[in-house]
Order: sequence, then C-alpha cells, then structure tokens
Amino acid sequence: MQRPIWSGAISFGLVNVPVKLYNAVRKRTVSFHQLRAKDGCRIRLKKVCPADGAEVPAENIVKGYEISPDRYVTVSAEELQTLYPQANRSIEIEDFVLLEEIDPLYFEQSYYLLPDKGAAKSYKLLMTAMRDTGRVAVARFVLRNKEYLAALRPAGLALSLATMHFADEVIPQEELEGLPGEETAPTDRELAMAGQLIESLTAKFDPNKYRNEYYRRVMDLIERKAEGQKIVARPAAEEGAKVIDLMAALEASLAAVKKKPPVKERRKRASAR
Amino acid sequence: MPAKTFVRIADQELALSNLDKIFYPATGFTKGQMIDYYTRIAPALLPHLAGRPVTLKRYPDGASDDFFYQKECPSHRPDWVPTAPVWSESNSRNINFCLLADTPALVWAANLAALELHTSLSLAVAVATPTMMVFDLDPGPPATVVDCTRVALWLKEVFDHYGLVSLPKTSGSKGLQVYVPLNTPTDYDHTKAFARALAQLLEKRHPDEVVSRMTKALRTGKVLVDWSQNDEHKTTVCVYSLRARPRPTVSTPVTWEEVSAAWEKRDAAALTFEAGDVLNRVERQGDLFAPVLALKQQLPSL
Repeated sequence: MQRPIWSGAISFGLVNVPVKLYNAVRKRTVSFHQLRAKDGCRIRLKKVCPADGAEVPAENIVKGYEISPDRYVTVSAEELQTLYPQANRSIEIEDFVLLEEIDPLYFEQSYYLLPDKGAAKSYKLLMTAMRDTGRVAVARFVLRNKEYLAALRPAGLALSLATMHFADEVIPQEELEGLPGEETAPTDRELAMAGQLIESLTAKFDPNKYRNEYYRRVMDLIERKAEGQKIVARPAAEEGAKVIDLMAALEASLAAVKKKPPVKERRKRASAR
Repeated sequence: MPAKTFVRIADQELALSNLDKIFYPATGFTKGQMIDYYTRIAPALLPHLAGRPVTLKRYPDGASDDFFYQKECPSHRPDWVPTAPVWSESNSRNINFCLLADTPALVWAANLAALELHTSLSLAVAVATPTMMVFDLDPGPPATVVDCTRVALWLKEVFDHYGLVSLPKTSGSKGLQVYVPLNTPTDYDHTKAFARALAQLLEKRHPDEVVSRMTKALRTGKVLVDWSQNDEHKTTVCVYSLRARPRPTVSTPVTWEEVSAAWEKRDAAALTFEAGDVLNRVERQGDLFAPVLALKQQLPSL
C-alpha cells in the first residue's frame, strides 16, 4: 500500500478540497551499499576535517555558502528556519490553463492527489469540471519547506500533480549556441519526404513497449548471485517466455520428425504417383 | 634456488622447474609426469587448442592446493607464444589470451602449473561464432556419472532425430559432456537458446532425473544439464586436459557404446581415465574427438 507523503487541501476561490499526496512514480534504480572487498564489512562514512583529520560531530556542523574561493558565509539551521515558506497545508490554484500551453520541459516530479475523508464528492466535481473544460490548474504549494509550482490535471481515475520548474530555472534558448538560422530552411520537397518518413513511423504511444533493460539485467544478476549460481558476464539474450516457446517448438519439431515416414518410402510414393 | 632443468623441444629451449614436486598426493604423480603427459598427448590435444583463447587454471602447489584462473597471458611469456586479443565487456579492455599452438607452448604452460586448460567454444579470430555446442552434465550428489550417461543418451537420441552427430567426453571430474560439432556460421544467441530449450525439454520429460536451472537446492540426486556454457565469455575444460582431482584424471573422449555400456552396467569406473589410460587409448583409437573440429553441421531451425 502506498502511504501519503503530505496532506492538505486544494483551494480556489471559496472551495476547499481536502486531499492527500502520493508518489506517482517508483524509480527503478538499483542502490548498492559499499563493502570492504575481502570480508564484506559495511563501509561507514565519517565526516572529518581534512586539516587535522578529526571527526566532526553533527552538532558542530554548520552550513557555509562559498562567496569567494575559501571564503564562506555561515548560516545556522535556526536562521534558515525563519525564512521557510509558511506551511499552510494548501494547494492554492492560481490559474486554469490549457495543457498544451505548458512545455513538458517544465514538468519535474509526478504525484497523485487523492481525496481525504469526506472530500470524495467535491474532489470528483473538480476533476470532472477540469476534464470537461479541458483545463489544467496551475497552483503553488509547500512541501518539505520548499515552495513549489505545480500543475494539477485529471489522469485516469485520479487527479495528478506535477511539480514544475520556475521560469528562471529553465535555461533560456538565447544562451544556446548553434541554433539553426534562416539559411537552413527546408524545401517543400524535403519537407514532404520527411513528413512521409514520420508518417511511416507513426504509432500510438505505448509506454509498455519501452523497458528499462539495464535495471532488469542488474536485478537478474543480483537474484542469481543471491541463489549462489555461477554468474556469466552477459545474461542470456532470451526472455523467459520466449525460451519456453522455443522448448515447445523443439518438442513439436521432434514429434514431427518421429511421425515422418523414412525418406525412402516417401520417394517411392512420389514416383508411384 | 629451485631446481631448473633445461630441455630442448622442437626449436625452443625451455627451463622447467620443480619437476619432482608431487602434484597429486594420492598417487605421487609429479609435475614432471604432468609435463610428460602433456608432451605425449600433444599430437591429439594441439588441434583442439589451435587458435582458441585458453584460460590457464594454475595450481602452483599441486591439484589439492590453491589455484587461480589466468586469462591474460603472462607478460613474461616467451616471444614465441602468440596471444590473441579478445574484448572483455566486464573489464572494458582487451584480454590477451595465450594461444597454445605447438608442443613448446604447451610445455611452457604446463611448467606454469596450468594443470587444467579451459578453451573457448570459438576461435580467437571469430569470438562471436561458436564452432560447437556443448552440454555439461553435472551430477548433484548422490547422482553420479552413471546418471549422467543416461541423460547423455537422451541428448543423443534428440540429435539422432535431427541427423546430427554428437560426441561424448568425460569431464575428467564428476560428469560427462556432450558436444555437437557445428563449424558453420552461427552465433551464441542461437546455440545458447537451443541448448537451453533442449535442457528444459529434458527436464520436462524427466523431471525426477534432470534439472536445467543452476540452483543448488534443486540438484540433489539429479543431473544438471548446464546449457549456459554456450557463451562467448565462458570457457569449458578442453578435451585431454588433466583435472585437479585426487587422481590425475583426464577429460577423455569416449564412444557412445562405452556410454551405453556404463549405463547398462551402472559402472562409473568404466568412465574414469587417468593420464596413462588416455595415452594408451589415443595410441589405439586415435583422436575420437577429431570430428568436433571437422564436421560441418547446422542446428535445425525451429
């Protein structure tokens, strides 16, 4: 079961919809621990001062911002706390916009919003209205002491929330070198050909078509190692299902060979015809 | 200073060391006897080593002591021992394998205490093309080589159906191996998938006798049909290689008649050959494994 990572309310105008926030994405990454090679002792990292080698306990560590090489302004946790955005536990909708107006570059992390107790009806109402008008809500909210811009939209049976980059975080294209200029304008004929090529490769987007092969291979390796098996440098190329099919094909092929009359007999029959 | 003995083999002079060192304590078989074996088996063995990357399994203190695998040909090799670079994905670099092309090179490797020679199923010039397919039949105790003989005969039956020649050899250790000569264009995806499917089919037909997965717990009393040796990155013990066992046993080619007879009589000893036995056999019968290098065959398309 998924556990909520935040709870609060969507608010716009006078309407308030209590909701809970859940992760919408489970990253398939493999994390390893660091061990000493010879005996598997788990490595612990110590925070030390390189000048005297002494370990520095957490209570003696402050944050420092490097203003010039080796010169720092220090900031305490208390000082930072006074600056935190007010955690008002609300997702404040500021505008409703069309989804296609938001460049996907802006999207950061995806979450699901689910209705909290007693809010199912107003939640459903908001979601249905957004779907009918084809609009996406742009909102602000505070999560873990940080203010986020977010886009809310219906996704399947639930509302989804995607945190968004602020405009000044997206690198302006004026900073890019090598953008194509006027001189590279394609001819109509070239465009027609490129259009045909795209047409021929056009498909419906199916996320299940694309697999994270690296993750699968790493986990496969780990599972086999855990079972104490010999590890090969490269896992078998075949999927499990495909191999079963090949076995069935082999079985069928053998059965067919068995039934076939000897070559001599077949020749005789052929010549008799 | 360890005692050195200088010998001249073909045109090369070699310094051999510790010839009196006992390599097999159970029988007193010495390093000198081991080098003598490799010298005398060379005419049969060398064609099977020719052009193939070889991994040296070295036992500096004899068969019952520590060993290490050496893929990278030692840098102190004589300049007349050629090497072949083979790309290693896991190391992200070329590994220069030794090529043991003649008797002096073989004796040089034997003097490094390379008791066991493990070769690729490919030639170094075409590492992605296996020239043979192999099934390594490994008995999970209390199963023995006798149980392997029956599984080998089941494999043979399948290949007979397809009109393909297959050849058995002892592993020289506990099991048997069945080879299918190919020597035609193919790749490991193909041979491995076929081998795996066949192993699974045998497991399905004979669930009490055969297992196709490596998991140790599944193997008790059954024969593992190890299909996974059909891999570009793996090596399998070469025919005529000694094995590091209590006695100087050898991976020995046998006839199917011998395999059948061992099964009928439940006779494991009939499939155990030591260095001396193997020299006698080769003198009488020649190289039973020659077809593995010569016969051109293709796996059936399914």
